[in-house]
Amino acid sequence: MSKIKGFCCNYTLSVDIEALIKEGLVPEDLEIERLPCTGRLEVPQLLDAFSDGAEAVFVVGCQLDKCHNLSGSYRASKRVKYAKRILEELDIDPDRVEMFFAGRGETEPVVEAARIMASRSKG
Amino acid sequence: MCTMYCPRPVVDTYNERLDITRAPHIDYAQAIPSSYYIDAKACLRVNYETCNLCAQTCTAGAIDFSQQPKELELKVGAVVLTPGFGRVDDEVLERFGYGRFPDVLTAFEFERLTCASGPTEGHIVRPSDNQVPKKIAFLQCIGSRDETCGNGYCSSVCCMYAVKEASVAKEHEPDLDISIFFMDVRTMGKGFDEARKRAQEKYGINVIRARVPRVDQVDGKLALTWTTGDGEHHSDLFDMVVLSVGLESPEDAETIARVTDIELNHYNFCRTSVDSPLLSSRGGVLVAGAFQGPKDIPESVTQASGAAAIASELLADARNSQTVTVTYPDEDKALEEEEPRIGVFVCHCGVNIAGVVDVKAVRDYAGTLPGVVLYEDTLYSCSQDALKSIAEKIKENRLNRVVISACSPRTHEPLFQETLRSIGLNPALVEMANIRDQCAWVHAQEPDKATEKAKDLVRMAVAKARLLTPLDQPTVDVTPSALVIGGGAAGMSAALSIADQGYKVVLVERSKELGGNLKRLKWTLDGQDASKVLKDMIKKVKAHKNIQVFTGSQVESVSGYVGNFTSALSRQGKTEMINHGVIVLATGGREYKPKGYAYGDSTRIVTQLELEEKLARGRGFLRNARNVVMIQCVGSRGDDMQHCSRLCCIQAVKNALKLKELKPELNIYIFYRDMRTYGFYEDLYREARKQGVKFIRYTLDRKPEVIKQSRGIKVRAFDELIGEDLEIPASLVVLSAGIAPGENEELSKIIKAPLTSEGFFLEAHAKLRPVEVAVDGVYLCGLAHGPKSLEESVAQAKAAAAKATIPLAKGKVAVAPIVSKVDQDKCIGCGICESLCPFNAIVLEKVGKRKKAKTITASCKGCGVCASHCPTIAISMGGFTDEAIMAQIHAFSPEGCEEA
Repeated sequence: MSKIKGFCCNYTLSVDIEALIKEGLVPEDLEIERLPCTGRLEVPQLLDAFSDGAEAVFVVGCQLDKCHNLSGSYRASKRVKYAKRILEELDIDPDRVEMFFAGRGETEPVVEAARIMASRSKG
Repeated sequence: MCTMYCPRPVVDTYNERLDITRAPHIDYAQAIPSSYYIDAKACLRVNYETCNLCAQTCTAGAIDFSQQPKELELKVGAVVLTPGFGRVDDEVLERFGYGRFPDVLTAFEFERLTCASGPTEGHIVRPSDNQVPKKIAFLQCIGSRDETCGNGYCSSVCCMYAVKEASVAKEHEPDLDISIFFMDVRTMGKGFDEARKRAQEKYGINVIRARVPRVDQVDGKLALTWTTGDGEHHSDLFDMVVLSVGLESPEDAETIARVTDIELNHYNFCRTSVDSPLLSSRGGVLVAGAFQGPKDIPESVTQASGAAAIASELLADARNSQTVTVTYPDEDKALEEEEPRIGVFVCHCGVNIAGVVDVKAVRDYAGTLPGVVLYEDTLYSCSQDALKSIAEKIKENRLNRVVISACSPRTHEPLFQETLRSIGLNPALVEMANIRDQCAWVHAQEPDKATEKAKDLVRMAVAKARLLTPLDQPTVDVTPSALVIGGGAAGMSAALSIADQGYKVVLVERSKELGGNLKRLKWTLDGQDASKVLKDMIKKVKAHKNIQVFTGSQVESVSGYVGNFTSALSRQGKTEMINHGVIVLATGGREYKPKGYAYGDSTRIVTQLELEEKLARGRGFLRNARNVVMIQCVGSRGDDMQHCSRLCCIQAVKNALKLKELKPELNIYIFYRDMRTYGFYEDLYREARKQGVKFIRYTLDRKPEVIKQSRGIKVRAFDELIGEDLEIPASLVVLSAGIAPGENEELSKIIKAPLTSEGFFLEAHAKLRPVEVAVDGVYLCGLAHGPKSLEESVAQAKAAAAKATIPLAKGKVAVAPIVSKVDQDKCIGCGICESLCPFNAIVLEKVGKRKKAKTITASCKGCGVCASHCPTIAISMGGFTDEAIMAQIHAFSPEGCEEA
């Protein structure tokens, strides 16, 4: 299992993650799961990622006011908040899970998110 | 100087805003007119009445701020519109990251980057960090074939220019990794497909058939994602992305249309029709170039000549009514024969030469050379004042040889020759030493050595000048008529145009009747009735008083030279001799006869032209038809012939649409390699797709198979999209057979007009002289030149007519004085020169009992092949005699100078 796990909605990240890894732009141990919409994401999925061995988990959805499915990324951000609370209860650093937002088709914010999470996973 | 002193920086628009210049500037060194101009929007003097620096610094006093705009009224007989093309909106480019990401460039910007005289002197660097990129992607069809931006047409030129730019880039940076993303590779011009193939093989340029939807930037790198035909997704990162932007209609197209009262088409280009591509909707208003539709340089040049022909037809009555004749004084033969009295003029060229070379030292040095009686320096030798003063000084000092030590004879020699002529000296008595290009420019860092070299060059030029001899300026009368070989659409159009311009034409057609390939066409590409177009044309030709038609005739032999050809025509065994001044080759081509694809095994396997013939006879054969399969590139593009036949894609789409119109429930499949429906024909392609015609791409290594069975025909082919073999029972198989050259070999030998490796006639220069042949007085149009549509053939025929009437209208042909001359005393009549001459310009004739070589000066191009091969050195070249060249070489060492 990879050390960092990211969930991306279908409308962000237009580039294959392999190409990014090949170019050395993102950590090699990154795994991205594409979802039709991050609104579909449930809290257990986030937690499962940790129990599967991930050191850090992040979600990238549309910008809040421009979500393709209107409120998908808003729902996701609420669930990430909830996941943070659970991590806190379990005495795990809540920063190990984070919500990010990206414009349509943009790749750069995803890469940025992966890097931030990589630094947190080391810390 | 003005550019140097101007305090006002402006963005260099010629260099695509990649560089900065000043308010007074010249766009590029070869601009015509080659003078500086002031950007009135930026100039401080014009806008704020301040500054005036440039006017003060201009040593030639050429800047005059008191000039005012003037309105002129001109009476003209014809107007030719050539406003060119406009730019694709930035809004379209922004979708591909242009403006947001610095390393996304347009192809125009990239072109400037690769240009040696461009802002980076030809180094390819990323604008973001000035580093050399490693991976470059070219995205095609930006602003073309894209209905979302209103440009549904194909811009026709971008595929080839992308290949060219990629090749140039690879030439400069061999380690570059370049990918070009095409929808279809549309390199359909003459010789283009071969060039593209070479680029792929030699430079390893990746050709990817995919449309990239967007460009993203990650960490300074540009990320692309695309999907190939097999459904696979791909992503990669590039250092630079070049957008191959298309050609738009000019920004002011609507204003032009309003002012000139012409109609535009739905894309805001000038509306024309297939049978008269250069006529706008208003009589007397002609159009040429990209305003008529996107096109490349050869086609624009061709159309421009064609428009000139039509203007000339309209103005035939007024010809020679407003000409000004230049007269020259008689040559002073006595002075020319005196001992050489040489004048040397050393030019400063402003700071161009004097900034590096010590002009005064060179001038004084020239004074020490033998034979030099006058030595001067001039600020700008080529300015009107200086030329006048040079002329006066030549007269005053009775000079009979002149050495101009300045710039390139290629650009300026005619000017000085003219000066000599104007005062009664033979123009061959001037010699130039190029101390600008060869000293000041290339050795700008070493002024001392540059000055020494300038002295060497002047010494050599003086040595040669001593041995210069006056050369005759012969002129030859022209027989004012033309021979047009070939009676197809091109030949008839050319004949009509020449005849309308007031000259006699003999039109020779090998077959029994006029018409050529047009006879077999049912519809033109814009859906007109082809037979009507043809009938109109034949009627006009037959009725024209200036045209004499010879059908069932062939050209047996051609002798003579430009202005004075004599040809033998054979007709039913009889031979007839005719005299004419020029020749137009319009011998046409023929439909390729397919090999394979079970062609000939069934009446239901036909070519596109045979389909049109079938349709012309009636639609009965479609009654039981369900599936029609068309196969493209039969015989073309490496299938058998190497070239692309250019119009089969359009023809197939046109016929598919016609079949759909006749029987909408037909299933039509078109197997293609690249759909090359260029220009506005893209509309037809889109329409065919809308109507449900199925387009399936194939590659040369997996060609479709046509299988004739006991009952019916089956087509088996691989479909890349679903990754499986298809089997289609076909009621009709239509093969898009390419265009093969006609039987040109024999004629090529008779006229000495070279052929391409494919067997089409070769033009004198692919871009600048597209309708002329290397042999003077011979012009070219139609399928004899290469595959093209009716529209293009007609335009080219007009262009050939324009060029052909130039010698006819002049009435005399001037012969360049630099020709070979045979010393018949030395000639042994071996005939080597005759066999080598590429222009038919040297012949053996009987002089007394022996054969001697003789130059036909009117045909000679002065290449010097004969002189270099003559075993007895009996041939010399005017202006470049052996003695003069040897003297020049000897003068290279100072001692040699004294010996001579």
